[in-house]
Amino acid sequence: MNGIQPPTIEYGQLSPLLLVFGAAIVGVLIEALAPRYLRKSLQMPVTLLGLVGAFALVLTVVMQGVPTKAAAEGAIAVDGPALFIWGVILVLAVISVLLINDDNEFVASAAAVPGTPEEEDAIAAGGAHTEIYPLALFAIGGMMLFASANDLLIMFVALEVMSLPLYLLCGLARRRRLLSQEASVKYFLLGAFSSAFFLYGMALVYGFAGTVSLAGISDALGAVGGQNTLLLIGAGMLGVGLLFKIGAAPFQAWKPDVYQGAPTPITALMASGTLVAAFGAVLRVFWVALGNLDWDWRPVMWGVAILTMVAGAVLAITQTDIKRMLAYSSIAHAGFLLTGVIATGAEAQNALSLKGILFYLVAYGITTVGAFAVVTMVRDAGGEAGHLSRWAGLGKRSPALAGVFAFFLLAFAGIPLTSGFFGKYAVFAAAVAGGAVPLVIVGVVSSAVAAFFYVRVIVLMFFSEPAPDGPTIAVPSVGTAGVVAIAAAATVVLGIYPEPVLRLAEDAASTLFIR
Amino acid sequence: MLLAVAAFFAAAVLAPTALRTLGLRAFWLVALVPAAVTLWALAVPVPHEQVVPWVPRLQVQLAFRMDTLALVMTLIVAGIGALILVYCGRYFTPGGPGLPAFAGEFTAFAGAMLGLVLADDLILLYVFWELTTVFSYLLIGYDAEDRTSRRAALTAIVVTAAGGLTMLGGLVLLGLRAGTFRISEILAAPPAGPAVSVALALILVGALSKSALVPFHFWLPGAMAAPTPVSAYLHAAAMVKAGVYLVARLAPAFAADPVWRPVVLVFGGATMLVGAWRALRKHDLKLLLAFGTVSQLGFLTALLGAGGRAAAQAGAYLLIAHAVFKAGLFMVVGIVDHATGTRDLRKLGGVGRSMPITCAAAVLLTASMAGVPPLAGFVGKEAAFAAFPSDPPVLAVLVAGSALTVAYSVRFVWGAFADKGIEPVAVHPPEAVLAGPVVLLAVVSLLLGPLAPVIDGWLAGYGMAYPAGAADEPLALWHGFTVPLLLSAVVLAVGVALFPARFFVARVQDRLHPPIDAERTFRLIMRGLDFAADQATRFTQRGSLPVYLRYILFALLVLPGAALMSGLPWPGAARIWYVPAEIVVAGLVCLAAFATTLQSWRMPAVLCAAVTGTGTATMFVLHGAPDLGLTQFLTETVTLVAFVLVLRRLPPRFVERQYVGIRRVNAALGVAAGLLVAAMGYVAINARTQAPISAAYPQAAREAGGANIVNIALVDLRAWDTMGESSVLLIAAAGVTGLIFVRRRPRLPRTVEAPGGTWSLPGLRSFGEPPEDAAATTWLRGSETLSPERRSIMFEVVARLIFHPMLVLSIYLLFSGHGTPGGGFAAGLVAGLALTVRYLAGDRYALAEAMPIGPGVCQGAGLGVMAVTGLAGLALTGSVLHETVLHWRVPVLGEIHLVTSLAFDIGVYLVVIGVVLDVLRAMGDELDRQVEEEGEEVITA
Repeated sequence: MNGIQPPTIEYGQLSPLLLVFGAAIVGVLIEALAPRYLRKSLQMPVTLLGLVGAFALVLTVVMQGVPTKAAAEGAIAVDGPALFIWGVILVLAVISVLLINDDNEFVASAAAVPGTPEEEDAIAAGGAHTEIYPLALFAIGGMMLFASANDLLIMFVALEVMSLPLYLLCGLARRRRLLSQEASVKYFLLGAFSSAFFLYGMALVYGFAGTVSLAGISDALGAVGGQNTLLLIGAGMLGVGLLFKIGAAPFQAWKPDVYQGAPTPITALMASGTLVAAFGAVLRVFWVALGNLDWDWRPVMWGVAILTMVAGAVLAITQTDIKRMLAYSSIAHAGFLLTGVIATGAEAQNALSLKGILFYLVAYGITTVGAFAVVTMVRDAGGEAGHLSRWAGLGKRSPALAGVFAFFLLAFAGIPLTSGFFGKYAVFAAAVAGGAVPLVIVGVVSSAVAAFFYVRVIVLMFFSEPAPDGPTIAVPSVGTAGVVAIAAAATVVLGIYPEPVLRLAEDAASTLFIR
Repeated sequence: MLLAVAAFFAAAVLAPTALRTLGLRAFWLVALVPAAVTLWALAVPVPHEQVVPWVPRLQVQLAFRMDTLALVMTLIVAGIGALILVYCGRYFTPGGPGLPAFAGEFTAFAGAMLGLVLADDLILLYVFWELTTVFSYLLIGYDAEDRTSRRAALTAIVVTAAGGLTMLGGLVLLGLRAGTFRISEILAAPPAGPAVSVALALILVGALSKSALVPFHFWLPGAMAAPTPVSAYLHAAAMVKAGVYLVARLAPAFAADPVWRPVVLVFGGATMLVGAWRALRKHDLKLLLAFGTVSQLGFLTALLGAGGRAAAQAGAYLLIAHAVFKAGLFMVVGIVDHATGTRDLRKLGGVGRSMPITCAAAVLLTASMAGVPPLAGFVGKEAAFAAFPSDPPVLAVLVAGSALTVAYSVRFVWGAFADKGIEPVAVHPPEAVLAGPVVLLAVVSLLLGPLAPVIDGWLAGYGMAYPAGAADEPLALWHGFTVPLLLSAVVLAVGVALFPARFFVARVQDRLHPPIDAERTFRLIMRGLDFAADQATRFTQRGSLPVYLRYILFALLVLPGAALMSGLPWPGAARIWYVPAEIVVAGLVCLAAFATTLQSWRMPAVLCAAVTGTGTATMFVLHGAPDLGLTQFLTETVTLVAFVLVLRRLPPRFVERQYVGIRRVNAALGVAAGLLVAAMGYVAINARTQAPISAAYPQAAREAGGANIVNIALVDLRAWDTMGESSVLLIAAAGVTGLIFVRRRPRLPRTVEAPGGTWSLPGLRSFGEPPEDAAATTWLRGSETLSPERRSIMFEVVARLIFHPMLVLSIYLLFSGHGTPGGGFAAGLVAGLALTVRYLAGDRYALAEAMPIGPGVCQGAGLGVMAVTGLAGLALTGSVLHETVLHWRVPVLGEIHLVTSLAFDIGVYLVVIGVVLDVLRAMGDELDRQVEEEGEEVITA
């Protein structure tokens, strides 16, 4: 009408994304229209079908050949790494949703003030919020979009779409509600701050490049050179926003509080999915957009990576809460991954680093969900038995569960024949090849420190006398048991025969990011 | 070779079941596997390779290679393993708990060790390396119920796993430098350079920690918690030998590296002395032997790592000799322990007489350890002394260490078997199966000596990796009267002489407190780590939002701040002021902002913050933008009201007790962040290369037929934005009220619904009120429901007087907005403020009287009007939100200039009123209600 060309949207390529968001919207409609007693039995299939269907669509896109051009007018890059990350996020999402399905984790009525008659009524009425399903779907869709955004604006939108539902979900724990709500508020406020930094950084970078497209920024850098104050400040602020999301030091402070307070299934989703998505975004911003600026950001990243690894490993030692400990371990792992982000160079080197990072993300993500699934099963009267002293002697009480958990911990520590070993090896080898030897040395030393606290938990579980009033092991729902089984199997298989997944990661990484 | 390793693991899987069904005899069945592997190793050609791809994408292969060194180790690992499994079959009591699992773990441990020595790939080697760590941990923790053994197990795994991970770094580095991960290829063409030195240093850390060398020697004696067969295997054949093996494996290629030799010799030598010295003090036979192992490992490391053919061959020979005598001696301790129930040499008396065969075997084995001719140990030691002719310091250390070795060897035999003049302990003699392996090993020890030349020829396959030395001599029992022989004699003499002087030695040892004790240092480090972690957690993880925010702000200052500073001097020029008054206003704003950071009370902080807002609005006015200024003023006021309403529910101070220092830090951080943002703004503004879009606004506004740019922008130029923002505003309002109302948003009650006349603040003393007063007409409808102590006549009068004028003003602003300051947004805020005044003066009923329509209706109607206007534009002009101007000449009023955007503006007006109402109801009325409820609860309780 006004001579505006309608944009071309490659619906086929974006179909996984659209399906997830579509399922989320269907979920919202179910909340609005279906009677309360039906909602859960409708939501669960819709959510799972949406996720599994999206995974199938990812496979279809891959079958049809990985696109070589960004979709949606260059706004979303459905390239090899993006498709790989989508697949990973969807797998992690499916198993996290199986955990979320557990009624015991979520509050009956979030609006009821803890300890009031309203709360008692809500509990008596049974059931829990079924809004968690569409919320989780929105978050998952946001994660996927975040990792594939090819311009900063889309990336920001994705960041918010991913984060806002998570802020809410964090506050919905059934037990220790005040802690959960506090976690939610902290996460929200700090997250809002970091988002604001991201936005400001984006504006400044736009001021430099005149575009928010990642490729455009890269071109502008190539044409002008990097010594522009505006650009440097902007890049710094983008970095603050992104590093906050992966929980790198010194922005790590929220992680333990939030991981501890949030309902454990949501913690599992955050610790796996968000980390994967955030690394996708970090790689895109720093490799694609700011790739030509690496002389400026690399020293900073060095510092951040070292600080993150050391802080994660050292702070974890003194933790007495299992979820907090896992949170610090997640910080340390983010640091290990950052060593891969730093190890850039020629194209082959980048592909090597990318392969390592992608494999690490798969290995770490699945093990993490499994570990948190185990955490949901160790309970006492007050809900999950989070305090480590309660885990003493678990190996005597329930050798199978403790054994699986010990196995997960060994995988985190990077002991051979677990997935964690090859992940760590792939990333460290890439980092050494990229010339980041001191970083790798810090990395192995921190892994050694980290191994100490993992092992300490194992010792506690197997060589301590069980407390007389120790926690009970909840009989897991089929979903939870399935999650633990899947995670354990994946950790073993990736530890013994990682080749197929490595091949996928290599294929995904070989094309690098499209511009 | 893969098959051999796999056989071990298969046996490990089957062993628990076998043990459950067959009982202890199953150990003998399991022993068949290592026995078979031993025979196979003897038959297999050397060198021999096997490569099976595993993870080609990470260049990891199942590459195995059998060469002389690997063969030596295989024989030790599998041969000793078989003997110990046979021994296990009688050592344990049948039906012990965890025994099936133990059998599996032990076999798997042996398999891992075998894989380790056969691996020809650095990463594969690391894999087996860590597997031995894990399995040994399980074995050490076998019956670790008590605290000390648990701690020992933890120490063992922490030290070795940490060393292993460090080594991984070195292996990766070495492999990448060499361009291959195949060990044989690396050895064939060793890389060099500083990076390789770093890699070797890292690898040596792993090797030293695994082999329990100084400064990591403390974990091995701690690991004595394991059952004796495990100790025997751990010390003689597996685990600790892994480090020695690695040194032996890499030395031919890297002995010339500047890092290698000093590390190996210094730590090896030191270990030899320290271990032997401490072995002299131990009363537990097992501990005595454990420190003996530490000492011997140092000896082996020094020999095998020194480089040079003679040393290497001596080392390899001693490796075998040590495995044989140490395994045998541990088994002896097991037998003694088994037979007497104690391992304390102060309690053991007369054991030798009751167990003559065991005693004889033990004496032979000990003699080998001490280096008495013609046993294996003697040959090895001779060769070792001969290997360092030009290195007196090393030689001196070896001689001293050997003398101490003799001393503790004598002490061992004496301690275990001598009469000592104490009452003999009760003994039940060992069974043949238990003693059999010991005797066998003693015989082997004896045979190895005379057979030395044969073995020498056989070990040449390993020694060949070095160039031949000038004075190299083959291993043999007798070389003639040489310096080494003399040294051996001295060693034996001194060592034996030390035994009678043992009380003197003990006194010396008591006097000598080593300045650094490795174990204590380790504990200190661990405690320090704990402490550091504790402090760091306390410092960084306060759980306090402001603290976290401080970190983020700090990072902001460092990262973008540094970027900003790097750009100094910033380009561009700034004009200090346009109107001099700006300076005053800016000064006030800065002052207020600074004051905000220093406040410890909430209300003053909010007021100070409000001053900055009003100051900014003043700036707009000074710059000639009254429309913008007006809007800003009104927004600021409404925000302040909302703030104040909410603050009633919060404690008056931010923190009950806050240190002034913290506040100062916060203030400094705030000021710095403010300066940073200001500088960024400055840079950003000066970086402008394009003409700002706002420059076109006045022109656009004129074209749209108005002069108020704010209003034109809202309703015309960016009407779509306004539409979207209004929707967002409504959602936000719904969200905020939803948070406060918890459940459903109630309707405001009308005066007639007021329960029983008046209501007052609970807990407050109410004044009696004459009934005629209560019935009297009030200034403000609705305020009569308030209790008298809460009413303020002044306020009511003022509210009554200004309420209507304010509404009129708001309508005026609404209509005049297109051309002069005002507009729907500002008008809505004015109307909202009018309602606020009404609410403040008369409370909830007054508000309901003034505005009977609920906020939801207001907001919905507003958005509806906006939508309809937009669609009408589509219908009329074919374009959404298109504006048309209508002109009428009306006789009395003059020209009426009506723009369709006015309808849109009315929508905005309604939305804003609705939102202000929501604020008043949610943050005002609902909070009142909650306060009352809580108050009532307190009173009733």
